[in-house]
Amino acid sequence: MSKDEEAILEVKGLKVGIESTSILKGIDLRIPQGEIHAIMGRNGSGKTTTANVIMGHPAYEIEEGEILLNGESLLEMEPWERSRAGVFLSFQYPQSIPGLQVGNFLRKSVSSVRGEDAARGSGFRESLSEAMEELDIPKSFLSRYVNDGFSGGEKKRFEILQLMLLQPKLAVLDETDSGLDIDGIRTVAKGINSVVRGTENGALIITHYSRILEHVNPDRVHIMIGGKIVASGGPSLANLLEDNGYDWLEDQIAEGVVFE
Amino acid sequence: MDPTSVYLSSEMPDRADHLWRYTSWKKTHPTGDVREIPDDISSPKVVLRTIDGSPIPEGITLLHQKTDSEGLPDEETITKSFLEAVTKNSKFTLSVSPRFRSSIPIIVDIQAEGDYCAAHLCLEVGKLSEFEMVTLIRGDCDWFGLMRTGSTGEGSICNDVLVNKMTGGSLLRVESVSIPRNSQFKSGTVSSGSKLTKADLRYRMFGPGGSLNVLGSILSAGKMSLDHHIEIYHDSPETFSRLDWNSACGGSSKTVGTGMLRVSRGSNGADAAQLFSNLLLSGEAQADSIPELEVSEHDVVGCGHGTASGPVDENQMFYLESRGMSPRESRSTLIAAFLNSTLSEMGGDLMHGWLVSELDDDLNELWD
Repeated sequence: MSKDEEAILEVKGLKVGIESTSILKGIDLRIPQGEIHAIMGRNGSGKTTTANVIMGHPAYEIEEGEILLNGESLLEMEPWERSRAGVFLSFQYPQSIPGLQVGNFLRKSVSSVRGEDAARGSGFRESLSEAMEELDIPKSFLSRYVNDGFSGGEKKRFEILQLMLLQPKLAVLDETDSGLDIDGIRTVAKGINSVVRGTENGALIITHYSRILEHVNPDRVHIMIGGKIVASGGPSLANLLEDNGYDWLEDQIAEGVVFE
Repeated sequence: MDPTSVYLSSEMPDRADHLWRYTSWKKTHPTGDVREIPDDISSPKVVLRTIDGSPIPEGITLLHQKTDSEGLPDEETITKSFLEAVTKNSKFTLSVSPRFRSSIPIIVDIQAEGDYCAAHLCLEVGKLSEFEMVTLIRGDCDWFGLMRTGSTGEGSICNDVLVNKMTGGSLLRVESVSIPRNSQFKSGTVSSGSKLTKADLRYRMFGPGGSLNVLGSILSAGKMSLDHHIEIYHDSPETFSRLDWNSACGGSSKTVGTGMLRVSRGSNGADAAQLFSNLLLSGEAQADSIPELEVSEHDVVGCGHGTASGPVDENQMFYLESRGMSPRESRSTLIAAFLNSTLSEMGGDLMHGWLVSELDDDLNELWD
């Protein structure tokens, strides 16, 4: 088995811009199957751009580089094709869609990604019911409109509900922990672990804080500054960063310290 | 004076009038010759049934005759007298007994065929009744005129939806409904048929505690031209109204929504709002919305109006596509959701399910 086939996600030399402004300036990232990685960074460092580009947001221009899912290039695929290939993005700010009921939306999504049979009958109802129970989401949720009037915590739980139902190969979670209290973080972390641990899937968690990582226990943590990954390491790197701050990290890098 | 004489002696409307600004009477008239009242206008087939095929419950009847009903102030003389003249032999009355209650929506099924066709449906709703009804118009008639007049009963709760499923042609729809004390009336319009629609819908709350919701889910495509004018009168204290009108416009179609909200002096505590929302599905589609207010009472809870137009939201598209839906599915889902946000307010679950299935068929046909 080649190195590319073993990785669920491989990003190579990725440079991305938007309206002639360069945002990502050469990202290299490799997530082996069954692993959870985290990206931390300041606002504006390029974390959300990375997530959006993996999902195929049309606003971004790929200047250079490659994104591979299980060794297959994603760059020529439209967002819906990437979703069907196994990519899932949990949005930082999920869109509200008044008029579209949650139950109807979930059925359409599961049907699109996993096929019509997966969205039919008692099997679908049971998996939906189990996932909702695990995430502590009431049944009445199904008749509400997608993200319309949801609290911050409800939006994030709903993203994880979709993650559990769509069963992607790669889950990219963009600040899924923000807006959640500690119980919510535990619940969401449980959902992420259940989708990745002990499987051939993978996850990339984008976050500002280390607290979700305490519950997910990532295999690798990457620090992004100015559109580049400047440091990578084990879970302790997140704590080191939270204790000392980004200025300290930048000073360390300037002094030639390598975090690996 | 009989309606024919009234019509022929009336001055023809000017396009400067609010009502006639976008679709002229000449364009709406069956032959275009506004000095003519055609004598070959037929009566449609009208049948009463229930939404689930169950028997018609006792207490609701449809008679082929007219019941006199009081008109509304400032009614438009031309269309009213014209429709009165051409529906002399085509008058129907839907009569609902006092305290009638049914959870199964009733359908007044109107099949309009031939060149010209017209009907006058009178509503006679008893006190404290609670029911839902659909007026379904369908057929391939070239021109169909429908007048609906009447009053809801005191303390009644009525959800009333008109569904236009005609396969083309023109529709002239004139409606005037009076809403008495403590009556709750929802008036929905679901329109995806008729190449040309001119509708003049007027509602008057004349008793304290009256409540009115006017809702529109309008879908236009091709070269359709759909013009709805809605007037709401608050003519009594502590009355409530909301107008939510959603139009999705594709092809080179044109939709017009004009609203007039009038609050008369003495209607203290009136609470009213109007919102027109337009979803533009192509660069050639056109949507005009003009809400207007005339408020003569200063002690009101609120009187507001607004309008919003725009294309399908790119961020919503990305969200749905990220859930595996193709661009076509995503777009169709967003259009359906936009129309459903008013559709879902028109009635209970049974009615809503039926309306969704009716609209889904049209969405699939129109965008193929």
